[in-house]
Amino acid sequence: MSFEYNGVEIEDTFAEGFAMWGTRIIITAKNRKWANIAAAEMTGFATSVIACDCEAGVEREIPPEETPDGRPGVAVMVFGFSKKRLSEPMLNRIGQCVLTCPTTAIFNGVPEEEADDMLDVGASLRFFGDGFQVKMRMGDGWQERQRFWRIPVMEGEFLAEAKFGAKKAVAGGNFLIMGLDEDSTLEASERAVEAILEVPGVITPFPGGLCRSGSKVGSKYAFLRASTNTPFCPAIKASFPDSQVPEGVNSVIEVVLNGLDEASVMKAMAVGIKAATEVPGVKWITAVNFGGKLGKFNLGLKEALDGA
Amino acid sequence: MKELWLTPKGLPSIPVEAEVICPDVVAGRTLKDVKGLKVYVGNETHSLGEFFEVEGKLAEQAADQMIVVDGTCQTVKYIGAKMSAGSIHVKGCAGMHAGSQMSGGEMLVEGNTRDWAGAEMSGGLLRIMDDSRNMTGAAYRGSPEGMTGGCIVVEGDAGVELGSFMRRGMIVVTGDVAPFCGAHMNGGEIFIMGKAARRLGAEAKGNGGFIACLGGVDEILPTYVHETTYKPTFMKLYMRQLRDALGLEAAAKFLEAPFRRYVGDLAVGGNCEILVAENGAD
Repeated sequence: MSFEYNGVEIEDTFAEGFAMWGTRIIITAKNRKWANIAAAEMTGFATSVIACDCEAGVEREIPPEETPDGRPGVAVMVFGFSKKRLSEPMLNRIGQCVLTCPTTAIFNGVPEEEADDMLDVGASLRFFGDGFQVKMRMGDGWQERQRFWRIPVMEGEFLAEAKFGAKKAVAGGNFLIMGLDEDSTLEASERAVEAILEVPGVITPFPGGLCRSGSKVGSKYAFLRASTNTPFCPAIKASFPDSQVPEGVNSVIEVVLNGLDEASVMKAMAVGIKAATEVPGVKWITAVNFGGKLGKFNLGLKEALDGA
Repeated sequence: MKELWLTPKGLPSIPVEAEVICPDVVAGRTLKDVKGLKVYVGNETHSLGEFFEVEGKLAEQAADQMIVVDGTCQTVKYIGAKMSAGSIHVKGCAGMHAGSQMSGGEMLVEGNTRDWAGAEMSGGLLRIMDDSRNMTGAAYRGSPEGMTGGCIVVEGDAGVELGSFMRRGMIVVTGDVAPFCGAHMNGGEIFIMGKAARRLGAEAKGNGGFIACLGGVDEILPTYVHETTYKPTFMKLYMRQLRDALGLEAAAKFLEAPFRRYVGDLAVGGNCEILVAENGAD
């Protein structure tokens, strides 16, 4: 079953999303250059929990007037399968990639009233101060109470908010863009990611937001738990008996999304698909699922577009 | 918010102790009840109605009650003492202990205040639009802790022992402060936009507390050591808070200011910080 949208066939199927814990961290620095460097470092090697300790990505750049310290900022999001598997990589990545990066500071990006739990990352991070760390308290008794740690470092001082809000989130939102050739498919995918960047609370953790090598569970090799998504590889569409690559399609790129809630992921999928369909050469759009047996969320493409 | 208006009439030269001028006390009462509330003058007991015209409306809850004191009451003590909610607006000066031990709500004094304003405050906002005398936000004698929360803004000068024994909360003085500011301080933040007199931070233990001097200092105690001069990121948060939450525009010019960082008081093994803005008027 499929339906047409902007002249592109959209398969009436769903992306299978998984429940994960997610958080949002605001990194600020003296200028945009250093904020972006810290964000890129912190979200590196975090495309998929298949082989990474977490999934992470840049949500958006934040203008100085919207950051707590009035400096240029970048919001990054981190996802893990449990609170423990979220807080551990958070701590490691903040410690190795942000604390080390000149002029940076970090702030909670999920307010306590919106969070399902608060992760006390600062409680561990502070020990780097070796006894010279300073607990900073703001707003006691007259404003919203805030806690920070000031950690002395060689360059000056690292400022870190003590607790970070974590939410029960959605990972694994996806759609596959299938095009006439590599150029049109890549252009459509890039446009999709650009559109998704405008949706708050969502990241696309793969390189540039795109995964050109989607995977399926398992392999003919017993030691490998994931292998190339053979049904969607155009290069073997004739030799692979169950190929799902439609006629006229010669390139497929997957957009994978994680978000703090289902509605955000659905909205991001919708704007991404819509943007992709505006590029000539895009033939089909579908999504990856496991028959609804593995994931908690069935993120329907039609429902997403109807909702948008 | 319902307004209760109290207009002073024939206040005696002997101070009137009127802790009943507080939203927590008047809320839920009738005007007649409020007029009959007891106040103390020396060793005599009087009623509030003898010294104030009482009119306006009364709320059921303290949070919905505003009290307007329509005139100067320099001899009226304890206005707003122990208030937990609502607001008080004094259209003139207030006597000793104004807003002392308040835990919530807002109190605005258009004139000056006498000693012990906001003493041992634990919450809320006390804003004094003129000078505040001695022991503002301090601990009462014998008490181990002064302010434990809330915010005091003095838009003028402040007397001696401002914020002594402070534990939490914030005090901002836009003018100068007299000696012994933050003595025995063990937490909290004090911002002085004018000049700080000597002995500030004497015997302060620290515990995350600091005194920020934006307009220079007379002297730093020899038991404080100069650590470095730097631009601390955390100060940007405070300067934005002063500017945006308290409307103190002058704070904006210190957003990028370098600060000299002193730590002490080593006489008591403390790690309290005194941060002196480099572009302050030393």
